[in-house]
Amino acid sequence: MNTEYAVELEHINKVYHTRHFFYRDEETGRRRWYTKKTVHAAVDVNFGIRPGEIFGLLGPNGAGKTSCVKMISGLVRPTSGNVYVEGLHVEKKRLQVLRRIGVVLEGTRTVIWPLTPLENLNYFGNLRGIRGKVLKERARQLLDFIGLKDKMNVQVRRLSRGQRQKLAICIALIADPSVILLDEPTTGLDVQSSHAIREKIREMTRAFNKSMLVTTHDMFVAQDLCDRIGIIDKGKLIACKTTPELLDVFSDKTFEFRLDRIPEPSKFLSIQGVQSVALDENGEGPVLVVSVEQEETIRSAALYEIISLLRDDGYLLKSVSMRQQTLENVFLRLTESTTPSVKPIVSAENQLERRV
Amino acid sequence: MWHINGFFLVLKAEIVRAFIIMRRYWFASIISIIMGYATLITIVYGLMHTPSSVKEMAEKAINGILGFLIGVFAFGIVGLFSQGLQGMARTGELEQVCLSPFGLVTNFLARSFVAALGNIVSSAIMLILVAKTVAENLHVAPVETLVLLSLTYINLIGFGFMVGGLVLVFKQTGQMAVIVRFAMIGLAIFATEKISQWPMFARWVAHALPVTDAAICLKYTIIQGQQVIKYNELGEPIVRALEPVLDSAGKPILDALGNPVMNRIYETTFSSVFTHESFFFLILSCIIWTAIGIASFRFMENWSRDKGTLGAY
Ligand SMILES: Nc1ncnc2c1ncn2[C@@H]1O[C@H](COP(=O)(O)OP(=O)(O)OP(=O)(O)O)[C@@H](O)[C@H]1O
Ligand SMILES: [Mg+2]
Repeated sequence: MNTEYAVELEHINKVYHTRHFFYRDEETGRRRWYTKKTVHAAVDVNFGIRPGEIFGLLGPNGAGKTSCVKMISGLVRPTSGNVYVEGLHVEKKRLQVLRRIGVVLEGTRTVIWPLTPLENLNYFGNLRGIRGKVLKERARQLLDFIGLKDKMNVQVRRLSRGQRQKLAICIALIADPSVILLDEPTTGLDVQSSHAIREKIREMTRAFNKSMLVTTHDMFVAQDLCDRIGIIDKGKLIACKTTPELLDVFSDKTFEFRLDRIPEPSKFLSIQGVQSVALDENGEGPVLVVSVEQEETIRSAALYEIISLLRDDGYLLKSVSMRQQTLENVFLRLTESTTPSVKPIVSAENQLERRV
Repeated sequence: MWHINGFFLVLKAEIVRAFIIMRRYWFASIISIIMGYATLITIVYGLMHTPSSVKEMAEKAINGILGFLIGVFAFGIVGLFSQGLQGMARTGELEQVCLSPFGLVTNFLARSFVAALGNIVSSAIMLILVAKTVAENLHVAPVETLVLLSLTYINLIGFGFMVGGLVLVFKQTGQMAVIVRFAMIGLAIFATEKISQWPMFARWVAHALPVTDAAICLKYTIIQGQQVIKYNELGEPIVRALEPVLDSAGKPILDALGNPVMNRIYETTFSSVFTHESFFFLILSCIIWTAIGIASFRFMENWSRDKGTLGAY
């Protein structure tokens, strides 16, 4: 256990077993009376969230983000490993942990529809052990803060999706928790609502020194919002860095050489400082994508060498450009599900693994 | 202390919510009472028109109504733990409740308490309305009835928690619970004191089921209560009872079917339900079912967290 963290996951594994009766295998077409399937939703996941930090958990559908959130909040029990919230073991001190966290889960039914936002806050405040004057004041404050004050007395079923989401965030905050877990807070919201909610999340973290976990599959949200990002895929945490660091991993060292015909990529691998070579095909002809070492002198030498090799072989060099790094690119590289147009052909070493 | 505190806080929250929803959907609330009333009146007149002696008729009617109301009570409470829980899991409300630091058991105790309270109040309204319609006054012994209702509630939530635990882990069992719920209505209607004459095995099964003894006791107090004609100087209720007619040799006279002829009316004190055999079984049933129910619910809750089925899965 590391006391530096407000939330810590330690060697977390989660395996779900599902049982199927009268099951028909899609591939072989065979029928079975009974099969058992296993899904690995978390494989040796380790990370921590510091106080006052927004931590983003980024991953494609089914990566295991929601499972992580539920394991931190004690709704799902890890198969093995320990989760600590402010030094308390979630499995052993679950009810105490629940007094310290606020959770917004996916879905819009987490609030009670026939009640108004104010009544919802009163109800869930009581459920979380808050009452009386404190509750009344905090409910109004929160509604004011999130911008729902004018909808305070409208039944939830008449509210829009974004307004419901805002209310769900208020409910999570009603007991003034120090750790807040938000599962996909901006999914399905329009640009304005998404922006407003992100603003509020930032404000909250900065102003009240909360620890925040935000899961999302929206790169833009993660890049915009999070101080640190963990990328999770098929249950494995494949990267966990600060946002600038993560962008740095592949940044200003991937170059695109637009050529007139398809080159032989393996040739360039022997050049010192070249880490990987790929071919990209698009409408304007083949593109050689080369990533090189970040160190400046080596990079310079490598680039000269690539260009001279191209000249020697008589390629027409249409343009050279440095690839703009976005979280999306990083994400795609890391999850190894490349875009259709970019296919890494060879790799000097298993760079991805080591970087992680 | 924390949990007791929590129970009352959740109780308050649930009552407020129930009131708001009742007020907001007042039309549905009134309709449900009217529907209940109509059903009861149908039962009363249905039973009154089956040919039998007047006294038997009245007894049958009250028996039927009470059985039905107790059955509906059981139906509702067990439903909260089966279909209710299932629905909450599906919508995600259950996970919200699980996030309460008072724990799921405390929350569901409070929830079922409010449901029971609502049910009892609406049943009482219906019962009074029906009595007024058939031009009768209801006499209820307040202490006995209250004690019995509380025990019935405890009895039912014990069973409910067990069903709830099963539903948490095996969502499919929710469908089966519907059958169990209807069976409970039947059981409540047909539960009679005559089970003491049943064969040993059937008797034990009947006592083991969660609503039998509760129904017998409640019917006993309320039906007997209707026959109180006066109170003696000790304040004990006096009822009229029938005795077999005896022949000169002191043996009961039998009718054509071999049953003793009962028409000698005498006055006797009304023995309290607390001395009734079924009351003993009811207390036993409460203790056993509640222990089994809450223990298994705790166990199943943990299992459910393992399987991740507190949510929509
Ligand atoms: N209770 C469960 N039983 C069985 N399998 C489950 C259960 N919950 C989740 N899974 C499986 O575990 C994997 C991870 O699910 P999870 O909900 O954590 O993904 P996610 O990252 O939140 O995805 P999304 O972005 O779609 O919300 C999925 O393959 C899912 O099918
Ligand atoms: Mg999810």
